[in-house]
Amino acid sequence: MHSNRLGWILLAPTLVILFFFGVLPFVYVVFVSFHSWNPFAANPEMIFNGADNFRKIVFDAEFLNSVGVTVTFVFFAVVSELIVGYFLAQAFMKEFPGKAIFRTIHTLPLIMAPIIVGSVWKLMMTPSIGIIPHYLNEWFGLSVNIGTSSFAAFATIVVMDIWHWTPLVTLTLIAALVSLPQDPFEQAQIDGANKRQIFFHITVPMIAPAVVATVFIRLMDALRTVDEVWMLTGGGPGSATRFVGVHIFREVFPKTNYGYGSTISVIVLYLTIVACWLLYVTMLAPRNTKKD
Amino acid sequence: MKKNRPVLAIVFWVLVSFLTLFPIYWLFVISVKPAVQLFSTPDVILSDPYWGNYAKVWGDRLLRSYMVNSLVISTGNAVLCTLLGFFACYALSRFNMAGKESLFFWTITNRMAPPAVFLLPLFLLMTQVYAVGDFRLLDTRIGMILVYCTFNLPFAIWTLRPTVDGIPKELDEAAYVDGASAWKVITEVVFPLCRPGLAVTLILTWVFAWNEYLLAATLTNFNARTLTTGLSEYVTTTGTEWGIMATISVFTLIPALIVFGMVQKHIVTGLTFGAVKG
Amino acid sequence: MSFAHKIAVSALALAVSAGAALAGGHEDFWKKAAEPYQGVTLRGVTESSPPSLYIREVLAPQFEALTGIRVDIETTSWDQMFDKAIKDMEAGTGIYDMVYIEQDIIYSYLARNFLTDTTQLLADNPQLQAPGYDEANFTTFADYFRGDNGHLYGIPMEAFIKIYLYRTDLFGDADIQAAFKAATGRDLAPATTHAEYTEIAKFFYEYGQANDMQLWGATVQGHTGHPASWYEYFESVAPTFGVYNWGIDANNNYAASVANGGAMNSDTAKEALQWWLDLRQYAPPESNQSTWTEVGTTFGAGRAAQGLVYGENAGWIAADDTKSLVVGKVGVALPPLADGVMAAAEAGDGYIGYYDGGAFGLPSTSKQKEAAALFLEYIGQNDVQPDWAVAAPRVTNTATYDDPKVVAMNEELGGYYDMLRDKGYLFAGAPAYPFHAQVREATAPTFYKILTGDLNVSEGLDQMAAEAEASLTELGYRK
Repeated sequence: MHSNRLGWILLAPTLVILFFFGVLPFVYVVFVSFHSWNPFAANPEMIFNGADNFRKIVFDAEFLNSVGVTVTFVFFAVVSELIVGYFLAQAFMKEFPGKAIFRTIHTLPLIMAPIIVGSVWKLMMTPSIGIIPHYLNEWFGLSVNIGTSSFAAFATIVVMDIWHWTPLVTLTLIAALVSLPQDPFEQAQIDGANKRQIFFHITVPMIAPAVVATVFIRLMDALRTVDEVWMLTGGGPGSATRFVGVHIFREVFPKTNYGYGSTISVIVLYLTIVACWLLYVTMLAPRNTKKD
Repeated sequence: MKKNRPVLAIVFWVLVSFLTLFPIYWLFVISVKPAVQLFSTPDVILSDPYWGNYAKVWGDRLLRSYMVNSLVISTGNAVLCTLLGFFACYALSRFNMAGKESLFFWTITNRMAPPAVFLLPLFLLMTQVYAVGDFRLLDTRIGMILVYCTFNLPFAIWTLRPTVDGIPKELDEAAYVDGASAWKVITEVVFPLCRPGLAVTLILTWVFAWNEYLLAATLTNFNARTLTTGLSEYVTTTGTEWGIMATISVFTLIPALIVFGMVQKHIVTGLTFGAVKG
Repeated sequence: MSFAHKIAVSALALAVSAGAALAGGHEDFWKKAAEPYQGVTLRGVTESSPPSLYIREVLAPQFEALTGIRVDIETTSWDQMFDKAIKDMEAGTGIYDMVYIEQDIIYSYLARNFLTDTTQLLADNPQLQAPGYDEANFTTFADYFRGDNGHLYGIPMEAFIKIYLYRTDLFGDADIQAAFKAATGRDLAPATTHAEYTEIAKFFYEYGQANDMQLWGATVQGHTGHPASWYEYFESVAPTFGVYNWGIDANNNYAASVANGGAMNSDTAKEALQWWLDLRQYAPPESNQSTWTEVGTTFGAGRAAQGLVYGENAGWIAADDTKSLVVGKVGVALPPLADGVMAAAEAGDGYIGYYDGGAFGLPSTSKQKEAAALFLEYIGQNDVQPDWAVAAPRVTNTATYDDPKVVAMNEELGGYYDMLRDKGYLFAGAPAYPFHAQVREATAPTFYKILTGDLNVSEGLDQMAAEAEASLTELGYRK
């Protein structure tokens, strides 16, 4: 059909903006990652130190811990969001009075800024005076203290993330379910398939692309989580909620460790891209290319 | 076909809505409590609301200018990202450019970058490179609109791709046969058909931009500060002013709620991602 | 009346009087000196605090009305304030003409030549020398902002001491006094030793429990993921046991560990940390999430009988009834001390607590140094101090103590200003280290692990000393 020139012209503004605000900063970060640079060191200059930073990262217990914490968090949060989101989406497929209102209510958390979400949850969870620990103690005799219990702090962040982002998953899955063709389901019922069989053999394969796409977005955003955690726990107690994003923040903001902080960022970005690329090529790319 | 049990459904949704709304309700409760009451035993039921925080926030000229900045930046960014994302998706969908799938994937990697460390290069670029004479991109609304593209443009491309892919190519070709120009085909044939997807992209990019904190905190100073950065002014040395912060938060929710309400009905039909077409 | 309200009222008063009366009778000087800088806008960045808000809302508009020089003040959170100032000065952008210098960062800034020598600037430009401004007016706190040449690199804008606050209503209650005497065999009075402090904390904790009150024995700034806890230990607890300067010996190759000649993991340091950790059992449950601000809020909410509280909070706790439930019920005392610490402090060989505060400095990268110097002189004058001290309790000039408004306020604050004036010399600012935040962040994760109990005190401090030395070696300070 038309020459690819038009295609490049249409793509050009995107590429130009991403080049100036995405690629150039990235190149700079990669450059810095091969240097030791802390403006408050005895020598405040940028000093080339080869792969030293990369070598150091392998033995950095705090960093490795933060990767572990982040991966655990992303796993529990995203899986829960997917399951809860799927059931809510299925529930929205039925007709019932007030459906539009309930759907609007369910999307409300999405419009709250992460920094605000973190603040509200912090106030709700303040040991002894926050409303949640207060009533958990009053009604069930449970003593919940996110300042001392790693589990409580971590679980709070997972629950907070589920509260905040499940609506996105619900919405995308509603969209996927709405656009499913009805024929295969009717045929399966005629053939006497049970609910479980229908779910695993028809529903799952058909909504898989939407699920993967949603997981993809959530995965990327969950891996970068900083604001909420920063407000809620600051990474504590101990290092229990010191996610990679928080770790990097501490490294480059208060510690002004620009060199090593850049190295961590490059590594984290690299790991994220690899993980997402694997997900992309195995699950999504075949479908996208098939359409050409 | 499916059994309808409206009472059960309503009970279920009331419960879910309670869980969803509680933190938002609590935000409101905090905003109408005087500071002295915040650190006492909590009470679920709101009694004797105190509106002083609202008067204070409403009367603050700085916060009003932050509100305007937030509106301009997020609207500008959402419109820009949605339009550019649409053009990009059209290109990726209709042309056989070399390496386009890799390019498609590469755009999304821009959203994966941990933001903290990118602040320094962005600061340097926006003060020293993207500057003409006395003008520099730092602390300008246009600067923030462009910076926010790094995470919103990939998102727009990612959400719009299935939508644009879903518009049959035959429609374009029929229009070309009728003698329409490429521009006409894109803007008058494909664009209207993508409206639901565009609406969703617009609102979600708008929300992401409206809620962004870290980049705005570092890259604005006086002229382009946004409402979320205004929040950090109330984390003071003599106590965090939770009441004021909550009030500002309530104010940030209102425009978001209006914009969200306007396009709510498009969302269900628009968010198709990779959904299989029947 | 709330301090924020007072600031608003002052701003209103300014609008009425148009600032002319506040020029201290030297209106001509300001008009003439500012003539070359008409149309100039000065920009400053500072941490959001009542004194800063007073500058933004009252002093800056006054100055503009007087001189025609506009002053924009950006107020933001603690983390952001440092980051923004450092990025600007490091990159040489020249965005800011004034930066807030917290006392503990001054050595880092001086080491990098980030700041302008204001003494020299005024000496070189006599036409800028304001009649109402004199370096000799400042309290000794200004000495923290002097360089090696004795010149001033920042104009003090706030100064506080971290003091021992106690509830006079509880300590003065006859029944409580009797119960305390029966329980401990001694009279109830503010503690002078650590054992007494713990005893009082335990007594009030049990008293609160027994009477079903929301009352605990002592505040603890014990956040398990925020450097506030690190600061409370190193700046306010360890010195009262005689461990100074974070246990790092600057004159001995920056040694931190005992093995190398430092004191960070000395037995005394361990004893101090253990004492402080044990205090938590008598502290309100939110202590594990408390930074400096929450400690103030806890005390203001009447949830603690005593505590070590930063001076910037003492003001509103004692006098602001919109935020505090204990107005008029607050007394001040010196922190409890180990044997010999007071003698050392009086001899100048040690200190008993933290003298904090900050100054406004003029970045070397500013493009409007002369105009900025005028503004700094303006806020440093004796004349503007009393109203400022009333609106946002802080004292930086010696003469301010004697102003009738401030004398009246001193009563309200339970004698806090007297203590600042008479005992201020016993307190000290942060050690003169140019690597302040770096070493703090290098050791903080381990410190949090001690707080959560993942590490015991002895192992934890050993590990921290090792980490501090490793970090100092990496930074190039320790050879």
